Amino acid sequence: MAYGVKLHVWGDYACFTRPEMKVERVSYDVMTPSAARGILEAIHWKPAIRWVVDRVQVLKPIRFDTIRRNELGGRIPAKKVGEAIRRGDTAGLATTIEDDRQQRAATVLRDVGYVIEAHFVLTPAAKPDDTPAKHAAMFNRRAARGQCFHRPYLGTREFPAHFAPAPDGLVSSLPADQRNRDLGWMLHDIDYANDSSPRFFRAELRDGTVRVPPPDSEDVRG
Amino acid sequence: MSVLQALNGYYERQAGRGRASAYGFSKQGISFAVVLGTDGRVLDVMDVRDTTGKRPRPGIREVPGPVVRSVNIRPNFLWDSTTYALGVRRNERTGAAVPAKRGEHDAFVALHRELLADTDDEGLRALLAFLEDWSGDRYEALPQSAEMLGENVAFCLAGSGGPPAFLHERAAGREIWTRWLEGDDAHREFCLVTGQRLPAARLHPKIKGVQGAQTSGASIVSFNNEAFTSFGKKQGANAPVSERAAFAYTSALNTLLARDSRNRTRIGDTTTVFWAEADGDPESAEAAEDLFSMLVAPPTDEEESAAVRDTIKAIADGRPLEVVEPRIKDPRHTRFFVLGLAPNAARLSVRFWLEDTFGSIGERLGQHWKDLHIEPEPWRTPPAIWRLLRETAVQGKSENVPPVLGGALMDAILRGGRYPRSLLTSVLMRMRSDGNMKDYQAGLRAAICKACLARDYRLGHEKEDVPVSLNHDEKNTAYRLGRLFAIYEKLQSDAIQKSNVTIKDQFYGSASATPASVFPLLDRKATHHLATLRKDPAKAGWAVRHEQRLAEVFAGLETGFPRALGLQEQGRFVIGYYHQRKQLFESKSAANSVQTQEN
Repeated sequence: MAYGVKLHVWGDYACFTRPEMKVERVSYDVMTPSAARGILEAIHWKPAIRWVVDRVQVLKPIRFDTIRRNELGGRIPAKKVGEAIRRGDTAGLATTIEDDRQQRAATVLRDVGYVIEAHFVLTPAAKPDDTPAKHAAMFNRRAARGQCFHRPYLGTREFPAHFAPAPDGLVSSLPADQRNRDLGWMLHDIDYANDSSPRFFRAELRDGTVRVPPPDSEDVRG
Repeated sequence: MSVLQALNGYYERQAGRGRASAYGFSKQGISFAVVLGTDGRVLDVMDVRDTTGKRPRPGIREVPGPVVRSVNIRPNFLWDSTTYALGVRRNERTGAAVPAKRGEHDAFVALHRELLADTDDEGLRALLAFLEDWSGDRYEALPQSAEMLGENVAFCLAGSGGPPAFLHERAAGREIWTRWLEGDDAHREFCLVTGQRLPAARLHPKIKGVQGAQTSGASIVSFNNEAFTSFGKKQGANAPVSERAAFAYTSALNTLLARDSRNRTRIGDTTTVFWAEADGDPESAEAAEDLFSMLVAPPTDEEESAAVRDTIKAIADGRPLEVVEPRIKDPRHTRFFVLGLAPNAARLSVRFWLEDTFGSIGERLGQHWKDLHIEPEPWRTPPAIWRLLRETAVQGKSENVPPVLGGALMDAILRGGRYPRSLLTSVLMRMRSDGNMKDYQAGLRAAICKACLARDYRLGHEKEDVPVSLNHDEKNTAYRLGRLFAIYEKLQSDAIQKSNVTIKDQFYGSASATPASVFPLLDRKATHHLATLRKDPAKAGWAVRHEQRLAEVFAGLETGFPRALGLQEQGRFVIGYYHQRKQLFESKSAANSVQTQEN
C-alpha cells in the first residue's frame, strides 16, 4: 500500500543541471524527478522506505538567468585524503584557488515554485514495525514543522529550497504559452545499483504538470 | 526540446535536402594538393586555395573526418597538415621546415597501410606507394614547399586527359572511410539526444566560429577537468551522446556558425545563431530566417534600410506577419529557434535558448520597438541590438560591453520579459561619465531609458507611464526636472555666446542624482543669464519666452526639489531632458519668438 504526499517547494534560484551541459551549467526547464527525490529524502528518509515521485506541478513562470562564478577546476583525490588520515597529519592536503581557478557560467532558473506529488514503497530493509502509515505520519509531521536532516536544495546545494505541506487550492501562475510543452529526454534518476548510470524519460508538460513514470516502467530508458 | 535535440533535428532536415555533409564527412580548408602518378611519384603540387578575397584562404572542401585530436596523435584519412601527411612541420622561430618529431607521419602511414591494404583503386594504390617511399628530407625538393608548410594538403591522382581527381572524393575512398567508422563499434549506450541505443561518443567534435573562443574549436559538452565530472565517470561517459548525434549537432552548429552564414549574428559577447522549421515548407523557413536576420541587425545601406524601416514600422504597429512578409505562409506554425553561445576559452556557455513560433517572436520584436520608440526619433532606421549595447560600453567599443548583458538583453527582447537592470544602470553611468555626446548617441540613450521604463510600466513594475514625446502636462517630478535642466542649458547658451564649459558638462551628473543641492544654484545662474538677455535689445524677447517656460515647469513641480533621485527617476530625468532639449535647440522659430501658445 502506498501513501501519497504533496509537498510545496519554492526558492529564489534553482539549477537542475542537464548532464550534457555540466561544465557551463544549463538547467532543465522544470524540476527533475531526482531533484524531487532529493528534497523528499532530506526531509525524511530511512532505509526502510524508497521514495517514488509521481508528479511535479509547476507553479511559477519559467524564467532563466545567467550567473558567472569562479570555481575550482580539480578535486583532491580520495586516495590522498585516505593517506592523510592514516598518517595523521594534513600536510600537502590543500588546494589553492589561485592555481586552479576556473570561471564557469551557469544558466539557472529564477523564482521557482513546485508541488511534488510522491509516494514511498517499503524496501526489503523494512522491519516488522515499519508500516507505511508510520512513515507517512513522520514525513507529514516533519514537513509541517520544517524539520530536515539537511537543508533541501533545488538541484545544487547553493540554492536552498523552502518547503511546506501543499495546501489545497494552490494556484499556478504559469502563463498559458508555457503550460504545454515537450521537454524532450529528461534525466529521470541515477541508477546507483548499476554503476551510477543515468536513466532518462520523455518529459512533457501537460497543463503545467509533468507526469513522472515509475522507475521500473518501460518509459524510463537507460 | 533541448538544444542538442533541436540541432540534431536541423541536421536531419538539412541532410534530407542534401545540404549537409554525410555522417563522417565535413567541410575543411585544404590549401594544396600533391599530384601523384600511378606509381606513386610526385608529379606536381597544386595550389587549391580560395583566391577571391584579399589574401588566399584555404579552399573549403568536403573531406573525411576530421578526427578529434588536441594534443594526442591521430591522423586524418587522405588529407592532413604537412606534419602528418609529409612529415615536416614549421619551426616557429625560423620558419624553416623541420622534421615532425612525435611520429605523426608514422601514424599517418600506419593508418593508410591498414585501411588501403586491399584496395584496387589505382589512386589509393598510388598513395600507398608514395607513402611507402616518402621521407621528410625530400620535402624541400617539392614545388611550392615554402607556402605549403604547415597547411592542410590533400592528394590527387594525375588523370589521363581529364583533371586530376582528389583521392578523398573518389568513391572507393569514401566507402572505405564509412565502413571503417561503422566498424568502430564501442559498446552501445542510451543516447540522450535521440533516445536510441547507439555507440557512444567519448569526445565530441569541436565547434568553430564562436567569436572569442579558441580558434581550434570549443565544446558545449566538455568534461576536461576533474571538477566537471560526476560519479567517477570519464569524459563522454558523464553524458551519454551517440557518435551520430554528436556528429549531427556539431555539424549543424558549425554550418550555422560558418563565416558567411546568414543564420548568425553577434550581440555583445554572445554569438547568436537562429534557424526555423516549417513542416514540409523549407521556403517558409528560409524566409523566416531572412526576416529575423534583417530585424535583429538591420542593414545600414541607404537602399536596404528604407525597406527595413517600413517592415519594422509595420511589425511595431502590430500588423500580422503574413502581411508583412508574404513568403512566410503560416507564422503560427513555423517554429523558430534561437541559441546564444558565449565563449570561455575552450568551452561554450549557452547564454540563452529559445524555441517558439515565429509569430510570437515577431510580436515580441514589435513590442521591443514600440517600447524603444521616442519622439523626435534620433535614427533613420531603428537600431540593431548590438548598437544598443554599445551605449553601455566604455568608449563605445563593442568589446567593452559588460559580459552577461548581451545575452540577457536578447533573452528579454525575445521572451518579452523585463530588460536587464544593468542595462539602465550602465546607460546612466555612461551618460554621467561621457561628456560630449553626439546627438545620435544622446537619442539612443534616452530611447533605452524610455524602453526600460515603458516596459516596466507595461509589465506592472512601475506605477507611471513614460511619455513618448514632449509632454507639457506630465506631472512626474524627475521628468520636469530634466526639462528644467534643458531650459537652463538653452538659457545659458543664449546669454553667453561662447562658453567653453556649459552647465551640462559641470552639473549634469549631480543634477540628475541630487537635484536639491544643484538646482537652486542653477536657478541663481539663470537669474543672471536672464538679466544679461534683457540688457541686449535684440534678445529681450527671448528672455520673456524663457521666463514663460520656466514658470510653466515650476508650476508643475509640486513639492520642490527632491533630495535624491533613484534609478528609474534618473531615467525619467534623461527622457525629459532629451525631449525638451530637442524642442529648444532644433526648432529655432519656436525658441526665440514671444508666443503664449504651447510649443
